[in-house]
Amino acid sequence: MASHAIAMDDLQYKEVAGQRLLGFLFFLISDCVIFGSFIFVYLYDRHASPVWPPAGAERPDVYLAAVNSIVLFGSGATMHYAMEAIRHANTRRFTAFTVATIILGLMFLSGQAYEYTHLHDTWAGNLFGASFFTLTGMHGFHVFVGVIFLITVLIQTLRGTYTPHRHFGLTAATLYWHFVDVIWVALFFLFYVY
Amino acid sequence: MKDHQGEHFLDAGFWRAFWVMAVISVLLMAVVVVYPIDRWFLPEASTVSTKIDFLFKFSMFFGVPILVYVNGFLIYFSLRYRRSKNDHPDAVGSAIHDHRALETWWTIIPALLMVVLAVLSYFVIPLYYPTNQVAASAVTMEAIGHKFYFEFRYPGLKNSVLNEMHLPIGVPVTLDITSYEQSTDTENEAVIHSFWVPEFRLKQDMVPGMVVPIHFTPSELGTFHIVCSEFCGLGHSHMWGKVIVQSRADFDKWYADQQRAELASAAGVRPISLAGGNPAAGETLFNSKCVVCHNAAPFAQRKVGPGLGNLFHDAGHPRLVNGKEATPEDVAEIIEHGAHGDMGVMPDMRANGLTPKDVANLVAYLQTLRK
Amino acid sequence: MEPIIHSTVEVGRVPSGHIHPPPDTFIKKYVFSLDHKVIAVQYFITSGLFFVLAGLLAELMRAQLAGPNNHVLSATTYNEAYSVHGSAMVWLVVIPLLTGAFGNLVMPLQIGARDVAFPWLNMISFWLFPPAGILLFGSFLFGAPQAGWTEYPPISLQMPFGTSMWCMAIFLIGVSSTITGINFLVTIIKMRAPGMTWTRTPLFVWATGVTAFLSFIATANLSAALAGLFIERTFGVPFYDPLRGGSPVLWQHVFWFYSHPAVYIMILPAFGIVSEIIPTFARRPIFGYKAIAYSSVSIGLLSFMVWAHHMFTSGLQHWEQFLFMALTMIIAVPTGIKIFSWIATLWGGKIRLSSPLLFVLGFLSTFTFGGVTGILLASVPVDIHEHASYFVVAHLHYVLFGGSMFGIFAGVYYWWPKMTGRMLDERLGKWHFWLMFISFNATFLPMHWIGLQGMPRRVAFYDPIYASTNLFVSISAFVLGLSMLIFAYNALRSAKHGEVAGPNPWGARTLEWMIPSPAPYYNFADIPIVLSGPYEYGTPLPYANVTQDHATVPLH
Repeated sequence: MASHAIAMDDLQYKEVAGQRLLGFLFFLISDCVIFGSFIFVYLYDRHASPVWPPAGAERPDVYLAAVNSIVLFGSGATMHYAMEAIRHANTRRFTAFTVATIILGLMFLSGQAYEYTHLHDTWAGNLFGASFFTLTGMHGFHVFVGVIFLITVLIQTLRGTYTPHRHFGLTAATLYWHFVDVIWVALFFLFYVY
Repeated sequence: MKDHQGEHFLDAGFWRAFWVMAVISVLLMAVVVVYPIDRWFLPEASTVSTKIDFLFKFSMFFGVPILVYVNGFLIYFSLRYRRSKNDHPDAVGSAIHDHRALETWWTIIPALLMVVLAVLSYFVIPLYYPTNQVAASAVTMEAIGHKFYFEFRYPGLKNSVLNEMHLPIGVPVTLDITSYEQSTDTENEAVIHSFWVPEFRLKQDMVPGMVVPIHFTPSELGTFHIVCSEFCGLGHSHMWGKVIVQSRADFDKWYADQQRAELASAAGVRPISLAGGNPAAGETLFNSKCVVCHNAAPFAQRKVGPGLGNLFHDAGHPRLVNGKEATPEDVAEIIEHGAHGDMGVMPDMRANGLTPKDVANLVAYLQTLRK
Repeated sequence: MEPIIHSTVEVGRVPSGHIHPPPDTFIKKYVFSLDHKVIAVQYFITSGLFFVLAGLLAELMRAQLAGPNNHVLSATTYNEAYSVHGSAMVWLVVIPLLTGAFGNLVMPLQIGARDVAFPWLNMISFWLFPPAGILLFGSFLFGAPQAGWTEYPPISLQMPFGTSMWCMAIFLIGVSSTITGINFLVTIIKMRAPGMTWTRTPLFVWATGVTAFLSFIATANLSAALAGLFIERTFGVPFYDPLRGGSPVLWQHVFWFYSHPAVYIMILPAFGIVSEIIPTFARRPIFGYKAIAYSSVSIGLLSFMVWAHHMFTSGLQHWEQFLFMALTMIIAVPTGIKIFSWIATLWGGKIRLSSPLLFVLGFLSTFTFGGVTGILLASVPVDIHEHASYFVVAHLHYVLFGGSMFGIFAGVYYWWPKMTGRMLDERLGKWHFWLMFISFNATFLPMHWIGLQGMPRRVAFYDPIYASTNLFVSISAFVLGLSMLIFAYNALRSAKHGEVAGPNPWGARTLEWMIPSPAPYYNFADIPIVLSGPYEYGTPLPYANVTQDHATVPLH
């Protein structure tokens, strides 16, 4: 991006960061709409079907998912502390918490993979599998992208790109990570509780 | 802030234009309600048709002055307030850019008209669908959409009637509407169709997996159109049917004939007679039904099915008979029972809405297609 | 009038004031340009090409429909033609023109900015567009979609690979649209020149802002719907197929939840264009500025609440039918307010009947007609009769061609000098307008009639009783196509023989006219400071930091 090359004073940076934050928020809102549409599809199918779950569908195990959820929410907490650390210019704490977040994120993905391979439902088998795998799969993909995002900002931090007052990349990564958590709350409720 | 038009907002010229437009509006509104405009519409053949036409006229009645005044004022103002040659190059118009009363009225009046239209429409909607009281008195039958014909199932008749819905006048009907759901190896039959009888002002989508009951009472004798109005595949353009509204006596007679035919066909199979087949009638039929899938051209010129030119003298129609040239009976058999092959499925004569006479005519026509 | 500036800091050092060095290579200047004005031209050219292709498809369709049983096109090809025609016109022509082309060309200039918030993303947005078009038209080689631009399942599940290409194409253009929407809304919120409060913002910018909001919210929903259709077709994942427990009506809900806001994406910027042109050519303030601005916002919000009026015959519950009917009628009210306000702006003006204004007058006439037939269709019982007939085809062309296209041409004639530095020929413009207006009405007005008489849409063959009307329509459509040649000739001719344009040939007051034509790559030498609204003709120009001698009196 061209703006990296130009030395910006604080006021300019604040302005640019404000624009990027708003743009990123709009992006997250549109991402919510995509999830929302598939959630609508699931709820519609569920209420329009004479019988639910459809014949042959297996409801996934709520306990495994609950453990996995705690892992994911835990990673949200660690990311929060990581951001606190960078505001106090504590790069070592930041690194530690970010690495913890990445590890927890990868643990969540492994938990998902385990669940996928042990579920009898298939993606194309019935309406439950269709919505379940599509939504949790999209979410898992978002977590995966989030992990890449976190690794990238970690590398940038170690290179010294960010300061306590200039760290839009980190703000965006954290927001994105929290967004992924929020979506999971909805999916957990939808598929495991409701 | 200078108002270059002076202090009066609306002068004599404006009011002249206003009244001219009022006269034009009144004349057109009279055409709508007094003439009335329904003379140009299709016959109102069901009890709900009049109500729909009324809503249409109501909307046109108020739509007409809106159109006249919008177009009228845009023409009038564009010409009246044209910059003249004597004006200074940067002459500007009036600075007036709002008027509370005017803006309030042009918000409230359209809003009120919408409310009235919504309320009037609200009372008409349930007339299309069976309510408890009326449904109790109505005859219930089924309409099923297929590729590419309408199937009607009557209470008390074992066999369906295809493409022609006979109804007695004045009897309320509840029609359960759906679409055929099966699929064969080569053809997925389940698609959305739509059952539209313009003269009844009646339409309902035929959705596979759903049954939607609609309700109407035919109020005029005659033959009316059924039009499929949801794209359903290659034959959509040709998916037409008829509603034949008859007197009670005629309908009863038709119904009795159907029952008699059922008993007769249960007793044995009648081979189709090819005698007296009319090639000209067959050609018309070919060009309206068969051309969806066949060309009257060499075998290789296939559309969906093979070309049918020179059908009886070309051993290169391999699907017909094993290496031998086809006979009229072979061809009649295929039209009657349909065919399954590499190219797909040819529907049988019932599916194509063909009578035995039609089959004879088609065979006669096909015999004229020599190389 | 006291200027409203947010802080002295803003006046002392103007935000976003820095000027980048100009791009130096051919690739950076004309191919992967980051300059919103160049990107706008790229959108104009690409959409123009697809307009010609989609228009040719329409002419082929009309050739087939000139007789009840013609053999110009086979049934398959006819179905492919109307499906690609509709899809291309919506997604490759009208939406990119109004957002990518006009939004890019005009909006940053009108707010006094040097570019959009995210120029690199702007470039990406554009470059997603040609591949989408190639996928859509390329689908003809693999069995183009046949079920219209709406592609209802189950039939769209049964069609060949071209329908999957359609899914991919529309998905790509949807991503492009989403990115542009985010980009534009951030730009408008964050990068308006100092002193440009919301009530001093030009109405085209208001319109672009609401459209941008619709673009990134509604399009996301379409992406989900298309992804569902694609994975069902490709991997057999059940969503819409009734034989697998799915629901065709579900597709309709998800599709129309996007597609109704989409039609407002296709008309709101045109409304914005009209709101700019009328004050300029009437040389007086727009009547009801706030009403027009706020009605745009309310139309944007209401547009999410009316989608099922496309589904009145699909088997909805009665309360659903009534609810959507009521909401659809409500949305007519803010639209009516705009039309009346525009006409009131003509009153008391000092009007120049130049080509841009003629197209606006044509818009007012045809769009109002389309609006009235829309109200007719809003009533559930009337819609039950008219749904999927030629009455709807007439209505949609009155609002999309009469509305959007006339608005687009008005904008093209208006901003041509700013974009190219040359004037279009006025006489040719008038010929184009009259021929287009008359042949447009001759083409689409009779369609109301045959719709009422029972002719369904999406048919290649029809009952011979409609033959004479259809022949008349086809001939008129041919003339309509020819009228575009006048514009094409005018456009090409202007490159060498068009009069050289000054900064402000129309004597307008919005910021894009305060800089040379065409605009320099940095737009403004100094970021302007805005002291008042842009439509107050008769008062001095309300800008500081703008060279006054750029504001010339109109010569045309």
